Amino acid sequence: MKILVCMKQVPQKDAPLKLNESGAWIREDVSYEVNEPDAYALEEALRQKEKHGGEVVVITSGPARAQQVLREALAKGADRAIHLEDNAFVGLDAFNTARAFAAAIKDETFDLIFTGLQSDDYGYAQTGVVLAELLGWPHATIIMQIEKSESGIRVKRELEAGYFQFVDMPLPAILTIQSGINKLRYATLIGIKQAKNKPLRKVTMAEVQSAVSGNLQKIERLYIPQKTKNTEFLEGSAGEVAKKLVDKLRNEVRVL
Amino acid sequence: MLVFRKPIEGIERPQMPADVVIVGGGPAGMACALRLSQLIDAHNSANPNSPLSKENIYLLEKAREVGQHCLSGALLDPRSMRELLPGFENEAPLDAEVTKEAVYFLTEKSKFKFPITPPPLRDHGNYVISLNRFVKWLGGKVEETGITIFTGFAGSELLFDGTRVTGVRTDDKGVDKEGHPKSNFEPGYDLQAKVVILAEGTRGSLTKQLIAKLDLAKNSNPQTYGQGIKELWEVPSGRIAPGEVVYTMGWPLTTKEYGGAWIYGGKDNIVSLGFVTGLDYADPRLDPQHVLQDFKQHPFVSKLLEGGKMIRYGAKSLPYGGWWAIPPVAGDGWMILGDSAGFLNSQRLKGIHLAIKSGMLAAETAFEALKKDDSSTAVLSGFQKKVESSWIKDELWKVRNFHQGFEHGFFAGMFNAGMQQLTGGRGLHNRYPGTAGYQHMKKLGDLPADGGNEAQLLGPAKGDGKLTFDKLTDLYHSGTKHEEDQPSHLVIHDTNICNTRCVKEFGSPCQNFCPANVYEMVDDTEQPNGKRISLNPSNCVHCKTCDIADPYQIITWVPPEGGGGPNYDGM
Amino acid sequence: MSDTILVVVEQREGKLNRVSWETLTAGQALAAETGWTLEAAVVGSSIANFANEVAAKKVSKVYAVESPKLEPYTPDAFSAGLKQFIEAKQPRLVLMPHTYQVRDFVPKLATAMGRTAITDCVGYKNEGGKLLFTRQMFQGKLAADVSFTCDAPWFVTFQNGAFRGDKAEAGASAAPVETVKVEIADGVIRNKPQEVFKEAKQAVDLTQAEIIVSVGRGIKEQKNIELAKQLAEALGGELAASRPICDSGWLPMDRQIGSSGQTVAPKLYLALGISGAIQHIVGMKGSRTIIAINKDAEAPIFEIADFAVVGNLFDIVPPLIEEVKKAKAGS
Repeated sequence: MKILVCMKQVPQKDAPLKLNESGAWIREDVSYEVNEPDAYALEEALRQKEKHGGEVVVITSGPARAQQVLREALAKGADRAIHLEDNAFVGLDAFNTARAFAAAIKDETFDLIFTGLQSDDYGYAQTGVVLAELLGWPHATIIMQIEKSESGIRVKRELEAGYFQFVDMPLPAILTIQSGINKLRYATLIGIKQAKNKPLRKVTMAEVQSAVSGNLQKIERLYIPQKTKNTEFLEGSAGEVAKKLVDKLRNEVRVL
Repeated sequence: MLVFRKPIEGIERPQMPADVVIVGGGPAGMACALRLSQLIDAHNSANPNSPLSKENIYLLEKAREVGQHCLSGALLDPRSMRELLPGFENEAPLDAEVTKEAVYFLTEKSKFKFPITPPPLRDHGNYVISLNRFVKWLGGKVEETGITIFTGFAGSELLFDGTRVTGVRTDDKGVDKEGHPKSNFEPGYDLQAKVVILAEGTRGSLTKQLIAKLDLAKNSNPQTYGQGIKELWEVPSGRIAPGEVVYTMGWPLTTKEYGGAWIYGGKDNIVSLGFVTGLDYADPRLDPQHVLQDFKQHPFVSKLLEGGKMIRYGAKSLPYGGWWAIPPVAGDGWMILGDSAGFLNSQRLKGIHLAIKSGMLAAETAFEALKKDDSSTAVLSGFQKKVESSWIKDELWKVRNFHQGFEHGFFAGMFNAGMQQLTGGRGLHNRYPGTAGYQHMKKLGDLPADGGNEAQLLGPAKGDGKLTFDKLTDLYHSGTKHEEDQPSHLVIHDTNICNTRCVKEFGSPCQNFCPANVYEMVDDTEQPNGKRISLNPSNCVHCKTCDIADPYQIITWVPPEGGGGPNYDGM
Repeated sequence: MSDTILVVVEQREGKLNRVSWETLTAGQALAAETGWTLEAAVVGSSIANFANEVAAKKVSKVYAVESPKLEPYTPDAFSAGLKQFIEAKQPRLVLMPHTYQVRDFVPKLATAMGRTAITDCVGYKNEGGKLLFTRQMFQGKLAADVSFTCDAPWFVTFQNGAFRGDKAEAGASAAPVETVKVEIADGVIRNKPQEVFKEAKQAVDLTQAEIIVSVGRGIKEQKNIELAKQLAEALGGELAASRPICDSGWLPMDRQIGSSGQTVAPKLYLALGISGAIQHIVGMKGSRTIIAINKDAEAPIFEIADFAVVGNLFDIVPPLIEEVKKAKAGS
């Protein structure tokens, strides 16, 4: 099985974020880490390789710092990495990111492409599905489980409210992977050392420029959500307060 | 049921040979790696037919990222950096050159400025830096030269062959709270190294193991420590200039405690401020984080911070013992650098430049060992000799009795310091003895119930949420995070002492001296005193205070699973 | 291009997904704002009754987009079918609820039409005729106002709870319903979905709960958690806790809310005996309504509470449970 895992480097989950001068993005002087769902996507890909043989390739787009995500993936057992390295990739929307990826892998033949179900920074949940349409491949989202089958693969999709669904799909296909579906492996010292010698192909913006066009949407501004909180204190005896609360629950909160 | 971390027994561990393993990626470890790389490069250009390889030189850093666990004020004396990288000022991340210094003695409401800044505290020519950013930059240079830095890996045990150190065992990953391997368990590696260099910072855990096993401290003064608690603030512009340095003594401490504060102006309106409290105070209820909150309420400080925002918090211990507390720093297969050895000038309150210099000297020795393929004491003791004939000794010799002079209080200390200043550091005797800090701690029964003059230092701070903070709120800003499902890395050798004796004798001081709310006495009707020790290990900021200050000396801090710990971005 | 807003409602397993009413509310508000005509569509096979249900609301027209190939749901069929329909109708704005199903096909549909979707929005702004859509970024730490820089049709999905489904206005009379048959060629559908099934989930996903009753140290003893559990059951919500409760093993770790647990933003968060340490607050401050009961008047939780009760939770919760049960029985 030849699997491509699309990974993204995002600001650390609890990093204090500051807006940049233009107010349309954040200041880049924060700590970064791998997008959590992508780490689970990688783990799933590595497990599939362990079961069925093949190759795991990781790809990311972003500035030089994003290489760290690829290095960690190689240390964990990925075979090759592709880095679309250019600051210009940071501002691309999902549509153009997917087009850049498609251009970068046009000479490869993957059986499966994984992405995490969404990113911890934007949270759009689109890149994988857009890529599927661009490549003309079938896809499924929020996947918990993947099994090889005669006709291709059988995947388990998560739905709302505790429901699930199995779907049979042909290959090649794109899957967006749910977070937390497995236990992430640790990179070992030997893995980290070996990663240094694994192929890492850099792709410049110029190489994929023809595939990429202007963004179809624009972040006009980024801001701290303002919450105007007026705390209403409810007083009285326990019984009175209970009644007042229920009143609020029914008429203002609307849960009764 | 508390289960404590220890290396899993009876399993096969992957073996990896190494030439040099440096444990710790702080200024000492990084300087050592960089210098070693320079020496190897020079050797290889001069001897193309017999090159030395950097392939098997490793640096282990327990934090997820280089610099993440580095915290200091900090002021850098550029002396050793200029030797290591001439012209470093042009590329290193320096906040500002020191422009103005002042030393104050504080009372609760007023301050007295020292008319002349005492020479040891004169900082002209020094730089205000963020140690975290500085080490990140230095680490980048180390990686560029081809030395492998393993981040997220801790040294958990030293490997011995008799009295010879033969390597380092890294931490076991994927062990659950009960001490059992999880499905993603990865055993720690045994790095079989010719030379092991310990650069773990203050109270290093492997250093502690080594000192105990080889009885290294038998001829030295016991090491003594302070705890530095720091907050990074963003203040309205104009309050303090970049490069402005302020030291204070006195309030909120009394003449009986050792310590003081610093305030450094960084760039972009960032202020670094903090309080160092000597970990040899008498009242077990003293809470260093509370001391810092008190300090901020002094009108001089509250005016500086008004309208500002606290953006980061952290704590670290520092070694105060000086020259006489430094154990032998080299032996069969090992060397000890930086704060792990105790290379800190407690009078100048500076140690980064000494750590860097010690790293360089150790690199020169390691280089010799690699060339000769001999890392026995015969060769490595060269490090000891280099230190003794370098300016490290010159500098530390002059202040060799400084901290000990304060053992009997502030005035005695100032008197002693004055005497030492006139006698090249000798003072009244060549070597003042020292006592380990925890031995100064008095039992509750011997202290006034209300704390007497020290009342303002005792117990947890409440915090107003704007200028002052309770410990838990402060702790949130340390960014500390650990894998939750792992055994406790604070190893308490006998929890019965906590529950039966300490709770009565000292009132469980761990709750006070830990800056991170790791230790808590919770209600437990089954205990004789109704209370039981409970731990929140994932709050730990790796300061080592508990290992140092616990009056029964039953706590051993070992590294938790690599990658966990505080996030000292910008500190 | 017609000046219409198209709300595509969701039907699944024989039911109209209630969250569609929220999208309709959004559509009605936007229609009032822009003056554009509001229309709705239902997609599937034999969906006339759903179309009629929607037609009772205040919309100009309802379309039943029909094809036997649209049942069961597959992204290929929905994308192909809707593409045909939308290309014919050319609405300016296409609104959908951000459900798991919509996430599965809307990016594909938009891409197939050379357009884009702004997904998971919590609101909108009209700035001099230019529509901006607000979404949460960085897990709610920041908000972004996003605009379209391409031609219509513009695709927008709204977050669950961003609008009030009960505020969807009813129509004065039933709107006209038109059935539109779409052709989906053989070979378009590649996925073969099996029957949907329910599984007793191992770990509870608090992020999906609409109502959460959470306990802190103020609950004092493990056995008192039963009281909170009863309240949660009475309200139809989930039980959660602050860190110390889970650390003591009184509740499993998957019920922990906070910086080292889960981050939630339910409709109602009821905090019992929780002081409001910042480590906990960051995990729940996005909740729509926060009610706090704590006997310490200075507890920081009160700073972010909408309704606050300074008092003993053991006195207040039992009568509260009774009143909740009465209210539910009565309604």
